[in-house]
Amino acid sequence: MCDLFALSAAHHYTAATSLPLFAVRGRKNVHGWGIGFFRHRQPIIEKSGDQVFAEGRLHGSFQRLARVVNSPIILAHIRYKSSGIVDECHAHPFVLDFWSQSWLFAHNGKAPLIESYTSTHVPVLKAISDSARAFEFLRDYFLEAEPRRPHTPFLDILEEALALLMRQYPGEYNFLLTNGQVIWAFTNHRQFLVLKGSEKLEDALLLTTIEEGLSSENWQRLTVGEGSLGHLLLIGGGDVILSVDLFP
Amino acid sequence: MCELFAMSAGQHYTAQEYLPLFADKARANMSGWGIGFFREGQVHIEKSCEGIYAGDHVHDSFQRLARVIGSRIIISHIRCPKSGHQQESQAQPLTDHFLEHHWLFSFTGEAPKKGFAFESPRPLMREPLLASRVFEFIRDGLESQLADWSGSSLYQGLTVTCKKLITQYPGEYAFFLANETVLFAFLNHGQILTYRPPEARGETLVLTTVSGGLTQNSGHWHAYPNKDPNRGQILIISGADLLYLGHV
Repeated sequence: MCDLFALSAAHHYTAATSLPLFAVRGRKNVHGWGIGFFRHRQPIIEKSGDQVFAEGRLHGSFQRLARVVNSPIILAHIRYKSSGIVDECHAHPFVLDFWSQSWLFAHNGKAPLIESYTSTHVPVLKAISDSARAFEFLRDYFLEAEPRRPHTPFLDILEEALALLMRQYPGEYNFLLTNGQVIWAFTNHRQFLVLKGSEKLEDALLLTTIEEGLSSENWQRLTVGEGSLGHLLLIGGGDVILSVDLFP
Repeated sequence: MCELFAMSAGQHYTAQEYLPLFADKARANMSGWGIGFFREGQVHIEKSCEGIYAGDHVHDSFQRLARVIGSRIIISHIRCPKSGHQQESQAQPLTDHFLEHHWLFSFTGEAPKKGFAFESPRPLMREPLLASRVFEFIRDGLESQLADWSGSSLYQGLTVTCKKLITQYPGEYAFFLANETVLFAFLNHGQILTYRPPEARGETLVLTTVSGGLTQNSGHWHAYPNKDPNRGQILIISGADLLYLGHV
């Protein structure tokens, strides 16, 4: 199973301590890695089909990027393929545009039924995987809902899209979606671990799917509530702004 | 009643078209004005106890500031004569630093009939200014809700605090509360209207309490009214989108 990482802060931050720890603790994911962030509202992605940790060492580029990438929001993904081939194109995060913004998407889960989804919009992602199709599904739903944008909260549309996604293409979904201002984090199977005010890592908000967290501190486990379709977090400026369960 | 204005955008924007319209529509409130915004994580506030209108013209400084101020979040307040004070220091927005953020706060409303007897251990000012007492109540409530962070969200903390506000001090309240990333709007009376300027191509969202909105065609504005003062609504805005609408 892949693993996810996010850093959110009110100002520019590097994840020089936590990103290498994320890679080391998630080293069982041997099918690639990616780091995404925004600069002047433009998404920037560095990714690779190489192992993030091999022969007792972190991938050199990952290590250097961890020291250098500096942004209020940083996403990272380390891949264990459940769908698609192993190459840079299939590594996450992916980028698509909707609602006049670019969005980064990193996914962890297993949803083979969504692989048959055919987008009705362009562009489509080159990757042939459940994650790429799931992102296109969400993008398409938002594009079609754009006329409602002036009077419908974003969360209402995201809830509708997720409910439809899980009804039409049942599976395990766990993703991070960001426009560089806020992060939406959704899971219907794994937990998110969240830490604020770390004394050992960065003093920002840190999120990961790594079971034991990235330090021995008091990571909060946010899990799917009983009877809910999944749990959704809205993160921004180093805070959990909203935390809700989605009910049918 | 005082009037409120806010603009939220995905990147730095000026409110040069909408702040003068706001001044014009709220010209009956001649007792002072203020504009607050964020620059590099710091709050800046320009305010005055002079009327927003001098003769037939919008206050010179207000007009110039409207053209010059660029920020992702801009908040403005025009004070009504009923507020009973004329000092510049008591004009809004107000600001304070808590929960690791600089915050802007702008308020309109009526005190409870029994008075607003809340005394904070950390008053913002000595003068009996209702806006200040309400801000202190909200700040202290949020701090107490999120003191030992256990994964709870800002929205959750604000909901509990606003519920206490309207229960303990039944009155009429509407306010904007913003840090550099997110803008919260609360109301338990009147309405908040939102507008997406077409010329900004979906990149900004304008909010106001001015009835009918600020442009000629009030049909372009979407109203969020609140008729029952025992219940309230919280809007969460970031970038150019209303992300969530919740009920208290």
